[in-house]
Amino acid sequence: MKTSHRKKIKLALRYIAVVALTILFLFPIYWLFMISFKTANEIYAYPPVWWPETLQLSNYRVLFEDGDAATVGNSLIVAGVSTIFAMILGTICAYSLARFKTGGEHLANWIISQRMIPPIAIVFPVFLLYVWFGMVDTYFGLILLYTAFNLPYVIWMMRGYIMDIPISLEQAALVDGYTRWQVVWKVVFPMCRAGLFATAIFTFVFAWNDFIFALVLTRTDVATYTVQVTHYFGGQSNFWGKISAMSVLGTLPIFFIVAFMQKYLVRGISLGAVKG
Amino acid sequence: MKNKRPLSQLILGDRGFKYQLIAPSIFILLLIGIFPLIYTLLVSFQGITMMDNDTSFHGLQNYTALGTDTRLWEALMHTIIFTCIALPIELLLGLLMAQLFIDKLPGRQIFIALLVLPVVVAPVVSGATWSLLLDTRFGPINQILGWFTGEEVTLLWTINPDLVYPSILAAEIWQWTPFMFLLLLAALSAVDKSQLEAASIDGAGYWTTFFKIVLPAIWPVMAVAILIRGLDLFRLFDIVWALTRGGPGTMTETISIFTYVKGFQQFETSYTGAVALLIIILLSVLVIGALKKVEIAR
Amino acid sequence: MHAVKGVDLEIPKGEFTVLVGQSGCGKSTLLRTIAGLEEIDEGSIEIDGEVVNDVAPKDRDIAMVFQNYALYPYMTVFDNIAFGLRARKTPKVEIEEKVAEASRMLSIDHLLERYPRQLSGGQLQRVAIGRAIVRQARIYLFDEPLSNLDAQLRDEMRGEIKRLHRELGKTMIYVTHDQIEAMTMADRIVLLRDGKIEQQGSPLDLYERPATKYVAGFLGSPSMNFIDGMVTENKVTINNSNHSLDIPEQIKNKLTSHANKAIIVGIRPEHFSRADIANHQQYSKLSVNIELVQPTGSRSYVTFRLGQNPAVAELRPQDLLGHNTTIELSVDMSRVIYIDPITEMTI
Repeated sequence: MKTSHRKKIKLALRYIAVVALTILFLFPIYWLFMISFKTANEIYAYPPVWWPETLQLSNYRVLFEDGDAATVGNSLIVAGVSTIFAMILGTICAYSLARFKTGGEHLANWIISQRMIPPIAIVFPVFLLYVWFGMVDTYFGLILLYTAFNLPYVIWMMRGYIMDIPISLEQAALVDGYTRWQVVWKVVFPMCRAGLFATAIFTFVFAWNDFIFALVLTRTDVATYTVQVTHYFGGQSNFWGKISAMSVLGTLPIFFIVAFMQKYLVRGISLGAVKG
Repeated sequence: MKNKRPLSQLILGDRGFKYQLIAPSIFILLLIGIFPLIYTLLVSFQGITMMDNDTSFHGLQNYTALGTDTRLWEALMHTIIFTCIALPIELLLGLLMAQLFIDKLPGRQIFIALLVLPVVVAPVVSGATWSLLLDTRFGPINQILGWFTGEEVTLLWTINPDLVYPSILAAEIWQWTPFMFLLLLAALSAVDKSQLEAASIDGAGYWTTFFKIVLPAIWPVMAVAILIRGLDLFRLFDIVWALTRGGPGTMTETISIFTYVKGFQQFETSYTGAVALLIIILLSVLVIGALKKVEIAR
Repeated sequence: MHAVKGVDLEIPKGEFTVLVGQSGCGKSTLLRTIAGLEEIDEGSIEIDGEVVNDVAPKDRDIAMVFQNYALYPYMTVFDNIAFGLRARKTPKVEIEEKVAEASRMLSIDHLLERYPRQLSGGQLQRVAIGRAIVRQARIYLFDEPLSNLDAQLRDEMRGEIKRLHRELGKTMIYVTHDQIEAMTMADRIVLLRDGKIEQQGSPLDLYERPATKYVAGFLGSPSMNFIDGMVTENKVTINNSNHSLDIPEQIKNKLTSHANKAIIVGIRPEHFSRADIANHQQYSKLSVNIELVQPTGSRSYVTFRLGQNPAVAELRPQDLLGHNTTIELSVDMSRVIYIDPITEMTI
């Protein structure tokens, strides 16, 4: 068989496999989204309905009317603010580690080890502390925790990105008369923009999707959407409409971010592996 | 804005500067990392339970209780089982998927973007979604199985002791295989093509090339991937919580769920403190051991 | 967009053929097509009379040396060299013999237990060559193997590879962008330009009888001077100057069709001499103003102008003694080539 024919057949087979895999992996997401648009009758129809008669938004309306949708807002506040804090503080710390080797190997290793502690082991002590200080179910408390938990990741990643930037740019700026702080803001931050984006996305998504920290540290005021979803799990009757609608509300923003920042996300994961 | 800096300062650098940079981060890490830990250590030596706010010194009582707590060690074992099954499957599947994408493929970017979606869904949502999929009556999984067997399938995925592990594993593998896939794709793309060409000219077959050239080249990334996912699997909570709450009974209770139950449902505060510290110590030992292995391999 | 188009090439057995040209001219693509690493859209490749279009690289009985060595980093030098033999299930004893012989030939037998990361550039290249020759293939392909080495190493390795060719006597096809490598190493040069063969022949052929202006300007360092002029009765007058060159008798016929038309004259730097000591059979004299002198020790390169064109002459250092601003040069007219300005082909 001619090589070119063989190649075409191989390509066709690969394509079929790729399409099949994509369908397989996307099916659960499709199902989730689809349920959120179904009426109660359709949801609890037997055999299961694969495509709703009409796309109706009553499940969503309920969430907004009950005020449950506000939990997405909580997620946004908590994840957004903690990401900003973690990125700023973490990057300047990373700069110190990268350029001045502050604290040497020991500090770097200690920082990365902080990320390896299982959340449950962190959240329990933190919970005790928060109870003492009355910080349970507060924005500040949750933001503080997310910031702290994400710092090691940010520091580690940004350190790698900064080390890739040639130091000559900063030296030139210093010679030009910039102060060291100015060099950080005006030279370093812009130069590692790509790394900043990728790391920020990861940090945000991590905080956004977190469950266990929010479960322990929130009650009613600051409940994030992940916690809210589990409120609809009942003993016998799960409020599937609400579960799926709430899930979609919480997942859609992330999908948009991924769609727009897809390039950075993929680069972030791959570079993360190389640097890790 | 340009300042004229004395040459001496240029040469010596700002010595305080580097500490200023790390100060806020270190402060926060200590605040959240160290102080609560110390507090927990103290609490673990006390006798605080649901009933009793006993803050007197109880010595190592809580720690010795750890040894005899079968539920604890079962939870640990459940966690290890999950890890040991999910990790290899994710690795293998991720590798196979990466192989598919390595050569030119029209629409590559789109497919990759779509395949990444499971990773960015919240694990809780992943668990919730799969509980919908696996529902006995209204879930499509049973329906699809019914098409194959020709009769009605009413498997109780989240209740039947024989089925709960596959259920949880399905959700976990579904969510995280694309992560492995991305990582391994990056690693495979980085393999020096000319080495592969040299091998093909030298006469090496597909498997020889894979095991002798590709695998050693992607091993560093694989090792990192295994470490990251291994750690994540150790903390398995969200997916299990959403699907089975650790049940039936305590069959699928992971170590994180066990700790949560003990601390936040049974309010055995002091004992939980001991458990938390045990987990930290256990994990530190494992991680240090794993890192040493990686160092030696290098 | 084809990298190589309409190439019709025959490579004689046992010869050292060099594919040379600028970056992007298609020489590497051509080599890789011979290797089987690139596909042919149209046409055929035959090795020893057998059509190999659809034959996989490993079945073509070829060996290749890559520009970046392409050594396997996780294997020792021995394993790297033995890799191909092992893949073909050669018996262990034979493998050891052949690797020993190849490594001795390349003076790397003391490095067999080392890993690639422990070796220098020159050593790595020898290992790569060793891996190629150990298999005793019928064709050896070299893809710019010396580009990553520094100048001195390159000189050394050029000689080594030429020596290898003499010893092994196999067909070798060598790709480079360096015209010095091409000139010194080739039995035959194939000069490629934009995916087509500009000219092929022995090095001296291309040097002394270039077919086009491109070939003339490509080979030779410093490159040939191109002077714009006009053909009049017996001379070529140089544009924008008082200078003219006498056309030798035997050339006059060839230029009749160019009478009173523009022409480009090609003179190599070494075809200039100081007029009073030159002994050219056929010559023209030029009196020029020296703009720049660049001495290299053994030679001095004098830059001057002929009309609008800058020109370089290669003289001996002593020729310039006492000449600071002007010098009278003699041009060896028997060596001068004439180029049609429109077709850019030599006449």
